[in-house]
Amino acid sequence: MRGFEPIAWIFQALTGIAMVFLITAHFLTTHANHEMLSYENAVSRLGSFEYKVFYFFLLLFVTFHAFNGLRAIILDTDGGMRRKKVVNAVISVIALVAFFYGAFLLSRF
Amino acid sequence: MGILSWFKYRSPFGIAFMLQRITGVVLLLYLCLHLVYLTSLQSKELYESLTSLTVSKQFFVFDSLLILCGIFHGLNGLRIVVHELGFAHEKRKPILAVLVVLTILGWVLGSYILYTALGD
Amino acid sequence: MRLLIRRFDEKSYWQSFEVPVKRGMTVLDALFYVRENLDPTLAFRASCRMGICGSCAVKINGKPRLACETQISKFKKEIKVEPIDNFKVIRDLVTEFEGFFAKHKKVKPYLIAEADYENPVEWLQTPKELSRYYVFSLCIKCGACASVCPASATLNGYLGPAALVSAYRFNEDSRDNGKEERLKIVSDSVGVWRCHSAMECSEVCPKQIEPAKAIQLLRRSLLR
Ligand code: HEM
Ligand code: SF4
Ligand code: FES
Repeated sequence: MRGFEPIAWIFQALTGIAMVFLITAHFLTTHANHEMLSYENAVSRLGSFEYKVFYFFLLLFVTFHAFNGLRAIILDTDGGMRRKKVVNAVISVIALVAFFYGAFLLSRF
Repeated sequence: MGILSWFKYRSPFGIAFMLQRITGVVLLLYLCLHLVYLTSLQSKELYESLTSLTVSKQFFVFDSLLILCGIFHGLNGLRIVVHELGFAHEKRKPILAVLVVLTILGWVLGSYILYTALGD
Repeated sequence: MRLLIRRFDEKSYWQSFEVPVKRGMTVLDALFYVRENLDPTLAFRASCRMGICGSCAVKINGKPRLACETQISKFKKEIKVEPIDNFKVIRDLVTEFEGFFAKHKKVKPYLIAEADYENPVEWLQTPKELSRYYVFSLCIKCGACASVCPASATLNGYLGPAALVSAYRFNEDSRDNGKEERLKIVSDSVGVWRCHSAMECSEVCPKQIEPAKAIQLLRRSLLR
């Protein structure tokens, strides 16, 4: 293995494949009927261990995938590549903030 | 031309690339909105006032477009994964055609499920 | 036949020429006709006239093609000829290729192997070993691939399809020992990771090399 890039690529693919299933499941659990979206149901879902695990992984995968994707877009430009280190650092920080904010919300139930 | 040159390509695969990029960014923006939105779960009143606004027929157009973005990005993502592992480059045309059909089917199905859940 | 040429000399402008059509005539023949009979200042590059040297790639009706391999009879009304994109135009249809060749050199496009020149022996290769890279050895460095690649368009440093094809071609050669050196070069962040499978290169390559596939096969070998 050679540095971060091959790992980023493989995880971009793996998280993508996993999300096809996770997001389909998420869509169906929230929109098959909208009883599911009532405050009581949402809170009881988020309180259950199984859903906590499910959402934790969805959150982990989606934040990595989305921000690594954004990183790829920015590094495709002259300006982005010239400041590669800064781009990597800033994107990582934003991704971590998004992840920990989501995890914080999850932890409240 | 700058980054606009990402959007000028005309082979069907170049168009798929451009759409993957656009839908990826749309989904990224939605993810951020979604996380902010979920903050409302801290308070029953806030959550219910927000859902009564957004879980509605007026918002259906946006939801449906989001479903389209998600389904295209997901299916096209699978196609890219296959090609990026070096497979099936010679069959890329029929694969893309199947993908377009599946995207439309998935979009219609997803929108239908959402629409019926919205009720009257 | 009307030939519309995008010219460049300090500023760029379109110029139209009327060219008599003969059977078997190529776009390159038409360009020569213009230069010999209508406007001797027209600048374009060509050498072999038979799809081997890779000098004559230009955009013809929007798509990069070899002028010498493109029949005029393919088109009905008019033919628009422009310099290829993503390259700096020097004059008229002539573009700057220094950077393109420099990237090619970067990937060490030659066999890296120990040879005993005192007691030379043949380097044997089976047809099967040859077939692993043969098609990728057909690249003529015309630049068509790089001219349509979205990553090459916005990132000057990107190695680009043609150089990566060469890297793969030598890496898969059974006589070569430079695999590790080349993999190190192509796995840099201006290497294979900039490809997003837009497939534009594979669509335009006049030698049908499928550069995009070479790039992805390089990626695959990087996983090991
Ligand atoms: C549903 C399953 C998904 C799959 C299978 C998937 C697959 C992929 C793949 C393979 C790529 C890499 C494309 C490339 O190399 O250019 C990609 C890029 C990207 N994805 Fe996803 N993705 C999915 C969901 C998402 C979600 C939910 C988001 C956002 C929240 C997202 C955001 C992005 C972004 C921003 C890019 C970068 C686009 C680019 O480089 O042009 N993806 N996706
Ligand atoms: S890979 Fe094809 S398009 Fe690219 S330089 Fe070689 S011959 Fe030309
Ligand atoms: S003149 Fe040599 S390839 Fe066209």
